[in-house]
Amino acid sequence: MGRLVLRRLLATIPVLLLVSGGVFLLIHLTPGDPIDAMMAESVDATVKENLRRELGLDRPLYLQYVSWMGRVLQGDLGRSIRNREPVIENVGRRIRPSLQLAALAMTISLLIAVPVGVLSAARRNGPVDRAGTTFALFGICMPNFLLALLLIFLFGVTLRWLPISGYVDPLEEPWDGLRALVLPAVTLGLALAAVVTRTLRASMLEALAEDYVRTARAKGLSEGAVIRSHVLKNALIPVVTVLGLQLGTLIGGAVITEYVFALPGVGRLVVDAVFARDYPLVQGVVLLIAVGFILSNLAVDLLYGWIDPRIRPR
Amino acid sequence: MSLTPRRREHVTVTRRDFLRWSALASGGLTAPWAVRAAGAQTAPKRGGTLRVGFYIEAATMDPHLSGSKIDRQIYHNIYEPLLTLDTNLGIKPGLAESWQLVDAKTLVFKLRRGVRFHDGTDFNAEAAKFNFNRMKTEPKSVRKGETASIDTVDVVDAYTIRMNLKRPDAALPATLTDRAGMMVSPKAIGERGAELERNATGAGTGPFQFVEWVKDDHLLIKRNDNYWNKQGGPYLDQIRYRPIPDDTVKLQSLQAGEIHVMDYVQPRDVAAVKADKNVVVLDVPSLADFAYQLNHTRPPFDVKALRQAVALSLDLEQIVKGVWLNVGVPANGPIPPTSWAYDRSISFIKRDLARVKAKLAEGGKPGGFTFTMTTNNIPINVQEAEVIQAQLAEAGITMKIKLVDSATLLSDGNSKSFEMISYQWSGRPDPDGNTYQFFRTTPGTSLNWSGISNKEIDAILDKSREASTQAERKRLFSQLTRLLQEELPMVFIVHPIEPKAFSPRVQNYDPVPDGMMRFKDVWLK
Repeated sequence: MGRLVLRRLLATIPVLLLVSGGVFLLIHLTPGDPIDAMMAESVDATVKENLRRELGLDRPLYLQYVSWMGRVLQGDLGRSIRNREPVIENVGRRIRPSLQLAALAMTISLLIAVPVGVLSAARRNGPVDRAGTTFALFGICMPNFLLALLLIFLFGVTLRWLPISGYVDPLEEPWDGLRALVLPAVTLGLALAAVVTRTLRASMLEALAEDYVRTARAKGLSEGAVIRSHVLKNALIPVVTVLGLQLGTLIGGAVITEYVFALPGVGRLVVDAVFARDYPLVQGVVLLIAVGFILSNLAVDLLYGWIDPRIRPR
Repeated sequence: MSLTPRRREHVTVTRRDFLRWSALASGGLTAPWAVRAAGAQTAPKRGGTLRVGFYIEAATMDPHLSGSKIDRQIYHNIYEPLLTLDTNLGIKPGLAESWQLVDAKTLVFKLRRGVRFHDGTDFNAEAAKFNFNRMKTEPKSVRKGETASIDTVDVVDAYTIRMNLKRPDAALPATLTDRAGMMVSPKAIGERGAELERNATGAGTGPFQFVEWVKDDHLLIKRNDNYWNKQGGPYLDQIRYRPIPDDTVKLQSLQAGEIHVMDYVQPRDVAAVKADKNVVVLDVPSLADFAYQLNHTRPPFDVKALRQAVALSLDLEQIVKGVWLNVGVPANGPIPPTSWAYDRSISFIKRDLARVKAKLAEGGKPGGFTFTMTTNNIPINVQEAEVIQAQLAEAGITMKIKLVDSATLLSDGNSKSFEMISYQWSGRPDPDGNTYQFFRTTPGTSLNWSGISNKEIDAILDKSREASTQAERKRLFSQLTRLLQEELPMVFIVHPIEPKAFSPRVQNYDPVPDGMMRFKDVWLK
């Protein structure tokens, strides 16, 4: 087990090198310039030149990459050009709302998807299955921003049950914090629930057709017990894969939801940084998101072994 | 003046807005008004927290290092400039109680006595001198351009400074009404250094003082109970600023009472918001001019007749009505109707397809020509580009549209890699700020993206800085506007209105066309 983790961690090094080089090249080759973007209405060319020199932006690209990489290896991701704060501080502030949102969205999606998926598969082509499939289709088709605005309109403006936007840390003020996170988490959770429902239903149907299920039934086990102890666990592998991939997306890619609900998350941070051509910030955040992706996928791989001993490494 | 009639469905508001605008443009209005004049008779009430929603959060609390417009919204409540603007863009005393142009290159300011920074230190001539020196010498200062005409600042006595200029600069007093005139406590700068960017405790002299800034969440300021000006406010206990990036959500937050003020209402939302009884909308005419720069340094727009053909093809009234939904007026040039220098006798360029034909022939392209317009990929710009494309097509000119993000737009403009490019200037209180840097011959990178270099225009611009009376400057700017309509470094489209929306509880807000929200006299019902 320890060796597997170590091997996987070592394998991430080339991935991270590739990601960092790719991002560095992409953002530097994108037209536009951080100094121009920051001082759009300033005419003072010397001030701009001085700033460029101070930030090392006047040097050749490969030198900039080498010196950036050198600092990264020492654990220094540099400073944001726009707000002049360390990148790590910027991310530190933003990661908490993102993680909380992702956790809540995932919980909501599982609370919906597991019962709906299981019932759909168990009562295939019945009314529950039809309702479940329709719900899943709706969740997949509904664009995030539209769902978000509809939820805001209903619960924020008309009923006034929940705050419309903003963030309160649930670890400091649990009640207000949860209230502020409910609508964005439902927005993300519904779409995710739809994906998970469909995946779970499909893999359950597959497992239900297996011989061991027939054997279990023949032994006289109740349908509930068959599903609980034989089908569900075997049907979980694709679901865990989906969840693992989605976790990374939820943390770094919930841009629209964060934008609409004015949540200070990582997704918005990286998009704002791209628009401002804030090179160190973009590079740093993308690198950290890549690390997050790699870790969540590693966790998924380890979970596989727990779910299915056959794929446990020897 | 050339004002398009506003829509009919909101007669009361519309007419008042119209009168306000007219009064502003003609210089007839000086008295402050309440938000929609409601409750103007009731006595102001102290207390309460005003919650304000902006589209983005501030970048820095140090006015000398600030390059972002949103910062100024907060500064105008915690810092004070030497001079300030009234609602008619007239210049009035701020931290300087009077000023005098001794000769073309010497300005003397008498500073207000009894003003203290929030940290308890005195504001005096030494502090003012320190501030100007910092703006001119601090390596990261973004104020160097604005203070370039200032050579040295002398302390005459404890409350008098003399500014010695390198060259005459008639626009300088107006420049000193904003960040370049804002006084920061030398003690706070000395003690806090770079930390001042995040924490402005004690640094200003204004009606409110900095409390805290929780990044990405909110910025809080509170009433300065020792404020020097005992007339009127500050009445509010606190002001809490919050970034809400999505326009629709910001509006919904206002409608639901989560915020009391929003900085800007999109034209598409104005009609709906005006119909909502829970929201008060104030049309604040701006200093802005939205235009397209034409590249004089390469074909096709190195040919004057072809530039004129484009300008004559456009129906500005249709653009302002259809795209801007009348939240703005067609532009006759760079100077907005809010300015004392606006010449209402000059009409905007009217569409004339017969003349377009003649101009195309004159420019050697009788069968029309093709060019590319570069513009920002945001909905209203895209719509405007499509309308312009259709209008040009009717005149036999083919326009392709290249959509880019704003960083690319700036880089294309600065490097002159465009044929026609969108330029949306937020405007400056003095007409110099809307003209000189765009139209004066300037080698190298500048805001003169069109690359225009015209001796007559240069001469007018230089004279406008040296002229000593406003009447003379106004005459020069009229001359300039006519010349720009002929030479066309830019095709001017619209002077937008910047509607702001309030909860009906907000009283006594006094809009200045620079768009900055000063809350000194505001109170909550």
